[in-house]
Amino acid sequence: MDEREIIEGCLRGSAASNRAMVETYGTLVLSVALNVIGNRQDAEDVCQETFLQVFRRLDRYDRERSFKTWLLTIAYRRSLDMLRKKRRFTEFSARARFDPAVMERGGAVDPADPAPLPSKLLETLSPRERTALCLWANEGYTAKDISEVLACSSSTARVYLFNARRKIKALLENDHGLLQNG
Amino acid sequence: MDFCKTVELLYAALPLRPFRDWLIRIHMDRCPGCQERLLSREEARGLLVRPDQTGDVEALWRRISDEACRLAPSPKAKGSGGRLAWQWAAVAAMAMVVALAGFWLLREAANPGFEARAAAPADRFEIASIQVGGVPAQTFVYQPQGTDTVFVWAQKTP
Repeated sequence: MDEREIIEGCLRGSAASNRAMVETYGTLVLSVALNVIGNRQDAEDVCQETFLQVFRRLDRYDRERSFKTWLLTIAYRRSLDMLRKKRRFTEFSARARFDPAVMERGGAVDPADPAPLPSKLLETLSPRERTALCLWANEGYTAKDISEVLACSSSTARVYLFNARRKIKALLENDHGLLQNG
Repeated sequence: MDFCKTVELLYAALPLRPFRDWLIRIHMDRCPGCQERLLSREEARGLLVRPDQTGDVEALWRRISDEACRLAPSPKAKGSGGRLAWQWAAVAAMAMVVALAGFWLLREAANPGFEARAAAPADRFEIASIQVGGVPAQTFVYQPQGTDTVFVWAQKTP
């Protein structure tokens, strides 16, 4: 099934087309959410919400635009929503003097299934910078493509990408220097 | 190299985005020295999770389809939705009746009523013919100057 057939099928409410869409784009959406959020459980929630929203709102998709970019735009916004929700929860738990470790969802990590997580170095970047870096490195997106996902100007997307590449490189070089000196 | 450092200092010192973009465009995009101080695509890929590393899509689909089924409206829910629509329609109709009755009552209160309106001076007074004793009468109409009063005098035709 090609992209157009999948979209037509999803618009008709076909379960097979919905499944084909998740199989085609699921890993892409999950990887973006994982790189932006940095937590597998939340990234899976975002992925689920993204596809549910896509199935509900597919009639609003403009066929002139790239479907992948439209899908990633939704995934990015959902990821930002999740980060905001988490921040509010963290602030609340800090105020209420809860132990966030006790309140976190999900069971213990299964050592037999070591799901990869993005590097901790990415935590130094803002969500926009992380998204820009992820789309550029994994998907080969240009600043113009990134700007469509981030809903900003192309030049702003360039600045996000440049900052991300510069910051991480500096951190890597610092680490390397420390290792050599140590 | 000193020039590159100056540009980098300027970049860090001036937070204005248009200025930063201008610097990136005119210098950092083209300068090999500055490019070396940026993360390459391969290095970035090593830090990020790639789509082929995310694992099984089947589990993801099961999760999404379960949630989609849960959110889909059941026939019972559809029926209750229809009932809800009827309830809304009934409430809207009732509100309309109340509004119309209120409007009518207000209109009645604002206007003194039919009798008062009848007592008001007519805009136009017209007499087609006057008969006295069954025969057409001789008629005279007087209107004093400067008044709206009109006298009609009718007498038997001699």
